[in-house]
Amino acid sequence: MNKIFSKSWMIAVYVFLYMPIITLVVFSFNDSQLVTVWSHASIRWYHVLVHDRELISAVALSLRIAFLSALLSVFFGTFTAFALNRYKRFRGRTLLSSMASTPLVMPDVIVGLSLLLMLVSMQQWWGFPERGLLTILLGHALLGTAYATVVVTSRLREMDGKLDEAAMDLGCQPFQVFKLVTLPLLAPALVSAFLLTFTLSFDDVVLSSFLSGPGYSTLPMVVFSRARLGLNPTINAVATVTITVVSIAVIVSSFYQSRAERKRKLEVAQAYSDSNQ
Amino acid sequence: MATAPKAKAVREDLLRVEGLTKIYDGAVKAVDNISLTVTTGEIFALLGGSGCGKSTLLRMLAGFETPTQGKIYLAGEDITHLPPYKRPINMMFQSYALFPHLSVWENIAFGLKRDGMPKNDINDRVESLLGLVQLTKLAKRKPHQLSGGQQQRVALARSLAKRPQLLLLDEPLGALDKKLRESTQLELVNIIEEVGVTCVLVTHDQEEAMTMASRIAVMSEGSFMQVGSPDEVYEMPNSRHVADFIGNVNIFDGVVEVDEPDHVTVRCEECVHYVGHGISGNTGMSVSVALRPEKILLSKNKPQGEFNKGKPQGEFNWCEGEVIEIVYFGAHTTYHLKLASGLVIKAQELNSTRDLSCGLTWGDRAYAHWSDLAMVVLTQ
Repeated sequence: MNKIFSKSWMIAVYVFLYMPIITLVVFSFNDSQLVTVWSHASIRWYHVLVHDRELISAVALSLRIAFLSALLSVFFGTFTAFALNRYKRFRGRTLLSSMASTPLVMPDVIVGLSLLLMLVSMQQWWGFPERGLLTILLGHALLGTAYATVVVTSRLREMDGKLDEAAMDLGCQPFQVFKLVTLPLLAPALVSAFLLTFTLSFDDVVLSSFLSGPGYSTLPMVVFSRARLGLNPTINAVATVTITVVSIAVIVSSFYQSRAERKRKLEVAQAYSDSNQ
Repeated sequence: MATAPKAKAVREDLLRVEGLTKIYDGAVKAVDNISLTVTTGEIFALLGGSGCGKSTLLRMLAGFETPTQGKIYLAGEDITHLPPYKRPINMMFQSYALFPHLSVWENIAFGLKRDGMPKNDINDRVESLLGLVQLTKLAKRKPHQLSGGQQQRVALARSLAKRPQLLLLDEPLGALDKKLRESTQLELVNIIEEVGVTCVLVTHDQEEAMTMASRIAVMSEGSFMQVGSPDEVYEMPNSRHVADFIGNVNIFDGVVEVDEPDHVTVRCEECVHYVGHGISGNTGMSVSVALRPEKILLSKNKPQGEFNKGKPQGEFNWCEGEVIEIVYFGAHTTYHLKLASGLVIKAQELNSTRDLSCGLTWGDRAYAHWSDLAMVVLTQ
């Protein structure tokens, strides 16, 4: 009885989570003009997509911004986390630690608006920066840094501070400690911080809308603006392509991970049989 | 290390600490004006409860804490303000602090690579260390694939790799279970002696300190209470605190009645102690007499024997009480005796035959007696 209940519960959750995505993928192969009415299967909208310059360039821009802002976020986030975690006493530490997480709780609209106001007045005084890729990047990096700081901080916190001391004891100067011990141990956290900030940037619409200039529309902005004019299944096609790419990336990485795991287990077994000889 | 030849020149004291003090937040004295010298080849133990300052002292030696006052000299050279990575001192950390992303081999080679040692020399050095700690077969494993005892050996090999002039051990056996401890203790001492490195070791476990160290400093509240060889500290504690901290002890409070150069008597409420040596005190002084449980003999009948060079027992060195608790340890049994004054003393009897020969049971009246050389008179 219990088993049936838990199984049906699981299926319900899966349906709830993935039904919309499946519907979206299925309807991307719909021939009809209308997103919600099924006529018959075709790849018509993929043809349209390939020739939709606006959509293609929006995807390219979104990818570029997401990649760069994720890099910036991880870079600044790591150093912020490091400073907060390893240096317990410096002027303004409390201020920094609370300010670092403020963008997490601040509504995007407020952050976007205040950034816009700042950039507008900056442009009036110095004629720089022109609103476009750079300003969107700035906004996304600002938000991403806050998230990356949280991810890296939690990893740093559970890392044994004794390891740093051990490295120093064995002759490492502070920078070498960071390079040889802290960084390799942080690597998984850095990867997940990168992926998190990448997706954050990739699907952000609020900040981008405030910060973009003419000719710079990210994918979510284009989707959003088209939705107001009535959607057309090209959007489904774009989404399907994105999902496919992401799925392939996830499958490949998990395949490599499990292979590395298997290899490691094999080595352990080898070591055991060696020590028994 | 460039400073290595100097060690031989001043062989007598490798490590000299003068008036070392560490004050936290301007108020808490973690280490209070400590001076000590450690001779080359010695294993020196800092023994004390938690918060006694032993770890702070060790961390100052390693260079992780800066002393508020005082100096540290290693082989005659002032290293007080040298950062840890420039000191010819290595440390074996409490929970080993092995680098989880590096293999056993790389862990041991870590410090050598930092020194820019040629690759072949590193290979040779690491191989010989792996042989020393018997881990040659596990060289490729990561720390999490090792048992606690193996990790401990890797940590030891890593701390010995750079051939430090001074090796610091922070609770070296703290993370091992009891059975493994005993075998590891001796193994550790053997390796340290084989390498011939001078050690300062921190522990809260008196057994660990007694078996491993050649000298022990008993610490409390940031100061040394007593420094001496294990048997000195055990048999001749200089204060109630030390007597109480190391092993079990029965303490009688009394007043010096007879003060002769070759003996004294101390009258306590429970009995009169006849101590077979002189003390630095005078008649009428109030003192404590410390008596270890294993030095007390129990009998059912009033002791009639001679306790000292033919002198009859008389009124000296015995008391009578009721057995209120019997704790059986296998090798020995501890009896708790409640005396007329209300004081409970412990007497430890060796179970030398399989029938528990003493024949005492709960509620029995028993007599405890001891020799004139069994106790220590404590004036503080």
